[in-house]
Amino acid sequence: MKATTFRIAALLVPVTLMQVFLMPNLSILHVSPDALAVLVGFTAISAGRNTSMLTGFIGGMLMGILTGQMGLLMLAGTIGGFMAALFQIPEECHATQSLKTRRFFLASTLCSFTSSTIMTAGLNPLALSPAYRIAVLGGIGAILTLLLAIAARVLFMKKSFAD
Amino acid sequence: MKKFFGFFFRNNSWLLLIALSAISLGFIKMEQENVVQRLNNAGTGFRAAIASKIASYSYLIGLKNENDRLLETNIALIGRILSTENAIRNEADRTRILSQKAESLKSFTLARVVDRQFSSRENMLLIDGGRSRGIRTDMTVMTPRGLVGRVVAVSEHYAKVMPLIHIDFRASVVSSESGTMGVLAWKGGREDMATVDHVPISSSLKTGEEMLTTNFSTFAVPGLPVGRVVSIKQGALFSTVTIRLAVDFASLNHVVVVSLNRDPEKLRLLEGKIESGTGR
Repeated sequence: MKATTFRIAALLVPVTLMQVFLMPNLSILHVSPDALAVLVGFTAISAGRNTSMLTGFIGGMLMGILTGQMGLLMLAGTIGGFMAALFQIPEECHATQSLKTRRFFLASTLCSFTSSTIMTAGLNPLALSPAYRIAVLGGIGAILTLLLAIAARVLFMKKSFAD
Repeated sequence: MKKFFGFFFRNNSWLLLIALSAISLGFIKMEQENVVQRLNNAGTGFRAAIASKIASYSYLIGLKNENDRLLETNIALIGRILSTENAIRNEADRTRILSQKAESLKSFTLARVVDRQFSSRENMLLIDGGRSRGIRTDMTVMTPRGLVGRVVAVSEHYAKVMPLIHIDFRASVVSSESGTMGVLAWKGGREDMATVDHVPISSSLKTGEEMLTTNFSTFAVPGLPVGRVVSIKQGALFSTVTIRLAVDFASLNHVVVVSLNRDPEKLRLLEGKIESGTGR
């Protein structure tokens, strides 16, 4: 547990920098994948609800320092972490690798959609309608985040979800 | 006592959620205050520095110098054109500008766009000029083609610009031929189009007319091109005027920041700080 928490803490800064500098280049319809949501989704599965909320909170704070809107990003990260933990796997439950993988994808996607909904509720620089912002932008963001989570699972997390 | 601690132990996730949310809401509330603003400015500087480094890899040194030299020349020419156009409109201005021409040209600062965000979360430009080069919040940002936006946050070496294509941006504009006035606003959608509100249906505004900034504005220099009228739809009292913006935000590399030219007395009057009758 401690090793996982340490690994998550070490990943937090690089993932935040990636979200700010790299992800905008992958955007579709002005929406980019949420790398932080993938990290929070992973945290929710492997370290539990409290750690995932804290990861979202601190990740939101770091992003806020770089981009502004710190409070809103912190709130979005916290609630995103809370929602992602709905897919948490209890420690005593010996889940299979495929179940853990499925839950990781669901947690990342739900975290992205939740935080995106909170962000769009608080910010609207492009003057888009609320329904469009939540359904289309939130939906596209969630799909892009799911694709990013799949890519992360295939490329970097082969041993993370061992049975 | 055991029950009391037991309650916290059982509900620790919910309590943590409430605590973190409360801290976040506190930060949202404090966002306007100095501490968070300073932190944001430092973050803006850091982000812009990295973005600037990334951008500079794709920027050829020789071309950069030549480009900068041409842009400097361009700025000087824009300064002269703007000064002259304003002077023609107003005889008193002309006398003043001719006498202070050298001084007015000094107030233009060239800056390079180091980062640009146009997303559902953020819509802003970062430029590589900050407090050290005399840039302050609310200064006008422009290009040789026309108005770009206004400075909203400044760090030591960088500044954040709210572009004209932002939902919260407003500027007073006037047409070059008919003299019709209105308020420029961007209401989403295409980034090359904006609307002009509060244009009465009785106005003689025609399509193709150029819209310029007025001298009513508290931040923009007057006579700066904003765009050209492409359509006019008449409503009950006011017309909905659509303009094609003069600046192409998709290919914005360099901008010019213009010093504030505010009349403190006018600002005090607008803010209601002058008492009636006393003239203070």
